[in-house]
Amino acid sequence: MTEHALQTDGLGKRYRRTWALQDCSLSVPSGRVTALVGPNGAGKSTFLRLVVGLLAPTTGSVEVLGRPATDTPQALSRIGFLAQDHPLYKHFTVAELLRVGRSCNLRFDQELAERRLRQLDIPLDRKAGALSGGQQAQVALALALGKRPDLLVLDEPMASLDPVARLEFLQALMGAVAEDGMTVLFSSHVVPELERVCDHLIVLNHSRVTVAGDIDDLLTEHRLLVGPRTTADLDRSGTVVEATHSERHTTLLVRDGGAPAAPGWQASPVGLEDLVLSYLRQPARKEVAA
Amino acid sequence: MTWLTWRQHRAEMYALGLLVAAIGAFLLAVGLQMHSLFPGGAGQCTGIDLTEACSTAIRRLNDEHGYASKMLNLFSLVPFLIGAFFGAPLVARELEAGTWQFAWTQSVPRMRWLAVKLGALGFATALLAGVFSAVITWYRQPMDVLDGRFGADAFDLEGLAPAGYALFAFAAATAAGAVLRRSLPALAVALGAFLAVRVLVAGWLRPNYQDTQRLVELVAVGDPADVGNPRMSTGNHLDWTIASGYTDSAGRPLSLYDSAAMYSAAEKEGVKFSAYLHERGVQQWVEFQPAERFWTFQLVETTIFAGLAAALLALVVWRFRRRVF
Amino acid sequence: MFVFRIDSNSGVPPYLQLVQQVRQGVLLGFLAEGDRLPLIREVSETVAINPNTVAKAYRQLEQEGLVTGRPGQGTFVNATEAAPVSPATYTSLQRGLETWLGRARAAGLDEQAINALFTAALNKARNENIA
Repeated sequence: MTEHALQTDGLGKRYRRTWALQDCSLSVPSGRVTALVGPNGAGKSTFLRLVVGLLAPTTGSVEVLGRPATDTPQALSRIGFLAQDHPLYKHFTVAELLRVGRSCNLRFDQELAERRLRQLDIPLDRKAGALSGGQQAQVALALALGKRPDLLVLDEPMASLDPVARLEFLQALMGAVAEDGMTVLFSSHVVPELERVCDHLIVLNHSRVTVAGDIDDLLTEHRLLVGPRTTADLDRSGTVVEATHSERHTTLLVRDGGAPAAPGWQASPVGLEDLVLSYLRQPARKEVAA
Repeated sequence: MTWLTWRQHRAEMYALGLLVAAIGAFLLAVGLQMHSLFPGGAGQCTGIDLTEACSTAIRRLNDEHGYASKMLNLFSLVPFLIGAFFGAPLVARELEAGTWQFAWTQSVPRMRWLAVKLGALGFATALLAGVFSAVITWYRQPMDVLDGRFGADAFDLEGLAPAGYALFAFAAATAAGAVLRRSLPALAVALGAFLAVRVLVAGWLRPNYQDTQRLVELVAVGDPADVGNPRMSTGNHLDWTIASGYTDSAGRPLSLYDSAAMYSAAEKEGVKFSAYLHERGVQQWVEFQPAERFWTFQLVETTIFAGLAAALLALVVWRFRRRVF
Repeated sequence: MFVFRIDSNSGVPPYLQLVQQVRQGVLLGFLAEGDRLPLIREVSETVAINPNTVAKAYRQLEQEGLVTGRPGQGTFVNATEAAPVSPATYTSLQRGLETWLGRARAAGLDEQAINALFTAALNKARNENIA
């Protein structure tokens, strides 16, 4: 297996006039669970569709599992994709959907898929449209896992699920990851649940990657500095990600910053949620006029 | 993949199959009755001198089966229904429901997915339209012998043309669905395109598939001449008359105004119009397409529609190849 | 079988929550020598947590000497030589904390204020340890 499950270089996608994704260069290590975080409309779905070969890039390249992302049978068979709102053929029974998986794939582990669904008490003879949202998501997951993919890509997999269904979905997903050791890339706009499930993070905002890396590394690299109110010399220690000022004191989120440089300043570690939110609050980068 | 295509489109297959079967059964029932009016074949009842039996048969044909023409004109939408109901949901339904993201991330590349779907459903379209036109061709056989096969209620429903129309409707609906991403609007757009192209081709192109033949002769005293229309025979009542008119003795065409003036002059003089024309050396002419060109014309018409269908499907393929969805 | 819980809103990194729960389990006697910790896959599936996180927690526990991983068999709790905190000490510490809480309440601090005070003290202690 290659070291990187996914590598992009200068990746961009334009729809008519607007760029949905721009200048995206990053890599996702194999065997990790990576979260792609960003507000709605940040370009998450576009990025994921580029990865699974549903879209062709306007600029740059995507390499998945060591090969350019295309839609050849070989490339497709190594990727499992779960689109937003887990679309399924609503008039098909679950058994028929499994048959689709079997007849449209080079390899399909019917037994595994059936076992998963049986464990969840999902009747195989029920039409997909008659299942609850959580059950539909589980069927879609079982179909994706049935391909025994090396890379599993999920677009907002839990956005439409109630809390119980969310947890059950995560349980199924994490169980599968533990069993198969595949690489997982999923997008989300909900932050609190991320920390328990992912170990790698990509933050996408305004069609650009604002931060990407190992969560442990990111948490050690970033520090929250609190001190007397100041608006000058913010760049003194490390890169300031975000500065918030109250009447008397200033809070800085800095990256690669050492100990607080000035007296009266205190450093403390930052939580993942605060870190992500700080990056999401950053304004769009101004285009430099040529 | 074949199974998936069948499973996804079996509802349309059942419905359209039923429609064609119902039409076929109905035409078989009324057709057998119609055919029985001419025990020796309708071919014996052409010409001027008709036997008593033939006159009765033709009268009964007009009385009892006079609705046929209107009914057949209505049926000219059936090829559209066949093609469009297969084509409209082909891509649009996947885009509507978001299932394209599921369908095209299995191990079947989207181009193969498209090829299988277009192949299978295009074949079903052509097959159903072929059965439909075969039934009509059989049904209309006595009428064809008596009235010719170039009328809108014959040419448009017989032979190869309906299959061409159906394929065009199929391609138009598929392409509209791929562009509009919705089945129902795609159906509406395809209907508009279908009607427009059909009217345009039938009214404007079809008469010119081959150069018309032209007959010119001096108006004879006993000819059934009308103002502007010599009602001249081509020698075969099955020919397709495109145009007719008069020229003066020098060969210059006479306008309707000219011939109307002559008609009033003839009345004033108290002579028959044809005699008046004959006296002045007026010639009558007719341009027509001979009846035996029917199959050539069918072939050209079908090729046009099949060609348009191919162009539209090429557009769909192009959109697929660019991966713009 | 030992059961883990994860509180997504606690602010404590999930792997640390697992480590703390095992520590606490050993401390309170829920986990005894030779007990097998659940397999990584089992933890992942029941708690809905990244297997890499579980592996990281188990690694840390191994480094701390609390558990030993035996390939193909699982992770087992080690003997704790002279438990660093005896049940008696533990109980007395808890009593002390409860008395302190009583005093804080009496002084008019609500739960949030108590938490803030406690966290600040903890941070201070931690910083001093590092320095």
